[in-house]
Amino acid sequence: MSRTILQVEDLHTSFYTRAGEVKAVDGVSFHVDEKETFGLVGESACGKTVTGLSLLRLLPEPAGRIVGGKIILNGRNILELSKKEMRAVRGKEISMILQDPMTSLNPVYTVGNQIAESIKLHQGLRDEKVTDEVISALRLLKIPAPESRIRDYPFQMSGGMRQRVVGAIAMSCRPNLLIADEPTTALDATIQAQYIALFQDIQRTTNVGILFITHDFGVVAKMCHRVGVMYAGRIVETATTSKIFKDPRHPYTVALINSVPRLEEKNKRLFSIEGQPPSLLNLPPGCRFAARCDKVMDKCREQQPPEVDIGDGHLVSCWKVK
Amino acid sequence: MAEVLLEGQNLTKHYPVTKGLLQKTVGWVRAIDGISFTVEQGRTLSLVGESGAGKTTTAKMILLLEKLTSGKILYKGEDLSKFSAARIKSQYRPNVQSVQQNPWSSMNPRMRVRDIVGEPLVVNTKMTKQEIREKVLEILDDVGLKAEHASLYPHEFSGGQRQRIAVARALALNPNMVVLDEPVSALDVSIRAQIMNLLKDLQEQHNLSYLVIAHNLATVRYMSHTVAIMYLGEIVEYGEAEEIFQNPLHPYTKALISASVLVLPEDETEEIQQIILKGEMPSPLNPPPGCRFHTRCNEASAQCSEAVPEMRRVKENHQVKCHHYV
Repeated sequence: MSRTILQVEDLHTSFYTRAGEVKAVDGVSFHVDEKETFGLVGESACGKTVTGLSLLRLLPEPAGRIVGGKIILNGRNILELSKKEMRAVRGKEISMILQDPMTSLNPVYTVGNQIAESIKLHQGLRDEKVTDEVISALRLLKIPAPESRIRDYPFQMSGGMRQRVVGAIAMSCRPNLLIADEPTTALDATIQAQYIALFQDIQRTTNVGILFITHDFGVVAKMCHRVGVMYAGRIVETATTSKIFKDPRHPYTVALINSVPRLEEKNKRLFSIEGQPPSLLNLPPGCRFAARCDKVMDKCREQQPPEVDIGDGHLVSCWKVK
Repeated sequence: MAEVLLEGQNLTKHYPVTKGLLQKTVGWVRAIDGISFTVEQGRTLSLVGESGAGKTTTAKMILLLEKLTSGKILYKGEDLSKFSAARIKSQYRPNVQSVQQNPWSSMNPRMRVRDIVGEPLVVNTKMTKQEIREKVLEILDDVGLKAEHASLYPHEFSGGQRQRIAVARALALNPNMVVLDEPVSALDVSIRAQIMNLLKDLQEQHNLSYLVIAHNLATVRYMSHTVAIMYLGEIVEYGEAEEIFQNPLHPYTKALISASVLVLPEDETEEIQQIILKGEMPSPLNPPPGCRFHTRCNEASAQCSEAVPEMRRVKENHQVKCHHYV
């Protein structure tokens, strides 16, 4: 059994706005093991990204705040760390790749400079040693000719290469946990396939645990070992990837998987989920999916369903599941 | 066989690269290099490819937003370059409408839905205000929106609903053809299915032709009758959708399909095998000699880097541009 790197317990993150409290993440629990990729899947505004930012404690304060729960990274609750201690954790033990490499790199610094920043900060290295580390980070991401590439600016690189540079920054201090927030969404299909294969390689050599945030089930099938499906601030179902696809239990998971057009199927009519997710400002008292669910019962509208383990770590929050 | 509505013959678009004070032309970006296709009445042609393949440039040429460098566009069998400006305005533009990718930027945020959808009618017809009002409500109903939505502003809608408004605007003039540039890629998965179903229903009701531009093959398979796979300004494979997906021949098409297929892992330890291409798409400023794909192709031979392959018909409904299929 591999070691658990990250354990999130009952995390609550809210934004306080003029209109009221927005419960963006409302009681989320999951864990990520060493060498494992855990996928967090869901549609826009379901709380995936806010979960990722909460783990780094990078919420836009004071509006956004973690109001409850525990985030246990390498055995200690990082919510109890001071701001200064947290800075030592970010980039070293836990790092993040953002969606769009066009905006997450600084256009006026060379890529070498940007990778060197976290190496200097966390490892206290100087001069040639920093350059060596930068080159080794670029090599890890399989960027060709790293010795000359470190002097390039982001605009001199293609989208796929830039996203590799972002990956090199994230991996430069060999973190235990990598949060990848839609890292392949902005990339083309064949470049996306390269990027995923690359990260599978990196995971094998570095043992990094990856929290993979995405809306794309195709990427989940290729990349993730286990998956948590999020809806309106909660994880409604957690299981291994093969179970999620073969034996999905929550009606939302079933609907979401059915609404993805399959390449291998003839063009029959697509299944679509009617309606919209509820507003996070004004959540219904019962199950959040009740209003769009085709198997809804009276109980669903009144009480929140508990999370039930139906075996082998397959967790479902639905009144229909016993 | 359905009637041909629009035909592109050997379309080319080269953009000049200029340098210096006198803006001397020092090179050409060969964005589109000799592509041909046909759009039939009531059917869908999809252009598929990655960024930089020339999909959107093709769409712009069809919408007459870009001038052709060479080649011909035939509309109902007539050469568009022979049309007078007045005839373009009265006969072509109202019949060929478009829906853009991003419903957050394709609408004026200060206009009400009623005015957004009604604007094409104000510009192109002599309908009275009352008639326009009625027509707008009718179209909104067609795309699944309610009458009370007409007086709202775009920001009051979700992404899926906005895309419905964009579709309503495109349909206002009862066009023959709609150019759909990545119509669902900005939307969430569950909403995508709603919009794709809507587009298919509308196609059947109004006998519309679609030119769909997409990078997601699963979307394309669901929407299209005919598919053109584009790479670096060229069509590398062209044919009936079912045939292309069942029996892809070009190595690029195979790689694209491999990258998009949703294969489910049998158990936790299995890793999915797929075709990984090396490198990236070269610059259209200086495309590689021979077959443009040979720098990334897994099946390339010596001949591929020397001779340019020709588009060959391998079956009645299937053409491919590759030396390996003669």
